[in-house]
This record gives sequence, structure tokens and C-alpha cells, in this order.
Amino acid sequence: MTKILSTILSLLIFSCIIYAQDKNFKEVKDIDKAQLDLAKLSENTNSIQSTFIQEKHLSFLTENIISKGEFYFQSPNKLRWEYSDPFEYIIVFNDKNILIKDENKLSTFDTESNKMFSEINNMMIGSIQGSLFTDSERFNVKYYENTSQYLLELDPKLPEMKSMIKTINIYIDKSDISVSSIKMIESSDDYTSINFINRKMNQPIDNEKFNLNK
Amino acid sequence: MRNLILTSSLFFLLVSSCSNPYKNLAKSEYSINEIQKIPYALPYSEQTIIYKTDIRFYKNDISGLLIIKKTEEGIYRIALTTQFGLKIFDFELNQGNLNVKYCIEYLNKKIILNTFETDFNLLLMQMDFESLTSYNNQLESQKVWQLKSGKLNYNYIQNINSDKIENIQFKKRNSEKISVGLHSYQGDIPENITLQHHNIKLKMNLKLIQ
Repeated sequence: MTKILSTILSLLIFSCIIYAQDKNFKEVKDIDKAQLDLAKLSENTNSIQSTFIQEKHLSFLTENIISKGEFYFQSPNKLRWEYSDPFEYIIVFNDKNILIKDENKLSTFDTESNKMFSEINNMMIGSIQGSLFTDSERFNVKYYENTSQYLLELDPKLPEMKSMIKTINIYIDKSDISVSSIKMIESSDDYTSINFINRKMNQPIDNEKFNLNK
Repeated sequence: MRNLILTSSLFFLLVSSCSNPYKNLAKSEYSINEIQKIPYALPYSEQTIIYKTDIRFYKNDISGLLIIKKTEEGIYRIALTTQFGLKIFDFELNQGNLNVKYCIEYLNKKIILNTFETDFNLLLMQMDFESLTSYNNQLESQKVWQLKSGKLNYNYIQNINSDKIENIQFKKRNSEKISVGLHSYQGDIPENITLQHHNIKLKMNLKLIQ
């Protein structure tokens, strides 16, 4: 009983923190300073290793769909998403190549032939490395902050992107200028949020992580 | 005379090939309100059902998570998202009619949507039908539940030993258009589903994850 109570209590506190986090963001007044801070994101981010928790919200479901895995990024253009729960799926972006391992099936594409994956790749690398919010051709960017984080709200300008995504919210910790979560909101207000936890910045990553074999 | 023999034998061949393959089996007739007698739980589940899904459509491969949720009696939401979470489609199946809530542009075509409507109606047993008959095929340990609507037949084939529906066929004038295999049941819900069209290059593989 005590266990249930403490779980409920911690859930409540947790949801209050999240609520407060969203509520306390105010528009950034000194944009120049924020941009100077955020420029460190690309300077600071040579590599990232992190656990991620992905939550998919669909309006017709009462519970979000949660998936988890490991995330690896090596500047300038290597990325590995490894889903382990509740399904196994690995996608690697290595320069212009896309490798997918779906259970035991391995497939390869190149970013030029697969527009959707290429767009996802650009979006992910651009979000965590900061190039996305300086891309004024493709996004309108609004800057918000609270005491611990910056929140960047990116509204796509291009029609093909707009039809898929209404807004991308990027949350950046001020303490070390690193991305702590990304939220992609669709036009229906359904969203996907990805939280990066236990982030290890700029530690060497084995190059084999960006290769997939049968 | 020769012509007459030829014509009548052709006619005979034609008629026999189009006739009901179950006609010699012991059958029972039911009223259409008795559809719940078919031991097929997927359409009645109140749970959110999630299948990891691969769709091969001509040369396109679409992969992601298929989410099926019964929201009211006879109303379902069926959404496919990529592994990254972005929606590919979000349909409402309401009394057998498919309404598009969202669909990625390259799939948002009438012919494709009609195909999805037929597929999901078959999977969730939501099609209109005029009669319900069951046939006992002791030899194959099968009981075939046949829903008929004009020239269209929908056969839900129950394995008598496991008591589960293990195959579904959609036939038009006895030519098979779609076949579905349902395997490895987890309780009332099949863990693996394969849906294959015979007149177009479309195949779906579903693997239960929730």
C-alpha cells in the first residue's frame, strides 16, 4: 500500500515538474546572448551516447506508446538509433548511407533515393547539433527559456514538411548546452517526444557502431 | 451436335469450378446477428493492440507500428506510425467505412484507400453480408464460417482442435482475392498475421508487440 502511495506521489510530483517546466518558459529577451550560448551546441557536440525514451501520443489512446533504446552520434554525420524495447530495430545513418536492421533482416538505402529517411536524418542531426535552428530558410524559430533550459520552437516553412509536422520543440539544458529532449508535434496535435537520458558527451565511440552486418 | 456437346461440357466445367467447394459438407445456417458465434476475438478486444508491421506494396516497403483500437461498437481507429513515431496513416473504420483522419500523401489515393478498407474489414470482420453458414470439414479438422454477400464470400476457417480462426479467405465468384494466415495465438489475439493479395502485389506481415 505504501509502495502504491509513494508511486502515485512520485508520479504526481513528476507530472507537476513537467507541467511547471512547460509553464515557466518565457520568451528569450536577449536573443543575441541565447544564440551565442546555443552556438556552443555545435562546437561542443563532437559525439553523444545516450539512452533514449520515446513516447508517442495518439489522441485516441489513453496511454502513450513507449519505446526505448540507445542513441549514438558522431560529428559530422554518423547516427545510430537502436531500439531494443518493445521491438528490435536499428537504423544507422553513415554519411550518405542508410542501414536498417529489422530483427535479422538487413537493408541498405542511400539518402538520395529515400527522401523520407533523409529528412529524418537531417532533422535529428540538425536538432542535436544545432544547425536546424539557424536554418531560417526552412524554419521559423522562436526562443524561450527558464532557469535551467532553453526551448526552441521550430515551425517548418516548406509545404512537404508542414504536412507532416506542425512544430518541433527542442529542449536544451543550459548547464552543458546539450539537447535533453525533442518533441515533434503533428498537425493533429498528436506528438512524439524523445528524451535523452544519461548523456555522455564527447567520449570516443567505436566506429563499428556505424556499420551493420548480417 | 458436336458443338452442343462441347458447349455443354464447357458449361459443366464452368459451373462445377464456380460451385461452392463446401457443398457436400454438413452445414448449419445462422442469422446474421449470430456473427459472435465465430470464435474470433480480434474484433471484440477492448485492448490497444499493437503490431510491428511490414507492408510490401509493389516495390515499396513500409514498416512501422500498426495500432488498432476499438473505440465504440463497430468503430475502430487504425494507425500506422514509423518506428520514429511519425504517423503514416490514421484511419477510422466506422461500420465498415474507412474515414481518413490522416494519410501521408503518397498513399492517399482512392485505389489504395479502398484496398486498406477491404483489408481491415476482413481482419476486423466488419464487412456487410447477407448470410452466415458454417460447414464442418471433419477430414481437415476445420469448421468454415462463410459470410456471403452476393458474389462475395468471406471464409473464416476455424481449426477444430485449437478452436481458433487460423485462416481467412476473401473470394469473388470463388476466385481467391485475399488470404490471411493467423498464427501463434497469445490468448485470444494472433501473434503473427500475414495478409496477401492475389491480384495485386500487396503483402502485410504483422507481429504482435502489445
